[in-house]
Amino acid sequence: MRAACRVAYVGDVRSEKGGVDMIEFACLEDVPGAKEDHDLVLFALSTCGWCRKARNFLEGNEIAYRYVYLDQLEGDEQRAVLTEASNWNPKRTFPTLIIDDKDVIVGFDDSSYTEKLL
Amino acid sequence: MSMEISSGKAYALREQLVEEAEAGGYHINPDDSITMTLVEGLVLNTSRYGYPLCPCRLTGGDRDADLDIICPCDYRDEDLDEFDTCY
Repeated sequence: MRAACRVAYVGDVRSEKGGVDMIEFACLEDVPGAKEDHDLVLFALSTCGWCRKARNFLEGNEIAYRYVYLDQLEGDEQRAVLTEASNWNPKRTFPTLIIDDKDVIVGFDDSSYTEKLL
Repeated sequence: MSMEISSGKAYALREQLVEEAEAGGYHINPDDSITMTLVEGLVLNTSRYGYPLCPCRLTGGDRDADLDIICPCDYRDEDLDEFDTCY
């Protein structure tokens, strides 16, 4: 099935891959915040309410992060970002939050974000 | 984070969805902060692709390939059983 914005798993999926370069895309938007304890990258869709909730959580808690709306990308750029997102979350669901290029939270619920980020 | 859509269309669609959901034994999420975002996403996706693609899923723009993720999607009941809400 193609699950959507649920919390499918929380954990470190990258360690088994032997490490990958830090996520760097020109399309990532910086959102400043008072808390910069983690390097956060949020893969999201502009149309997705749960992605909105995730952003609201981060900004409500003054947490700095970067994000990209994949539905607003096109062509090669979208494919490249989707490939990166798929490495972390093969189901390609949103939101997908990457923490310190190491951990991932798929979907949004308050408790998972609180546990990992606060 | 706003989507450039007509709020009038969104509210009209919301009313339509309420009627259809209730007629089918379902309920729209009472949390309007999530419901309206999703409804706005449906309006935007309909404008973009010509069909109400689930706002939480990415498409390549092929309607035939997206039949399972057009709202209400094939996974609604499964989600409701597990999470009490669809995603």
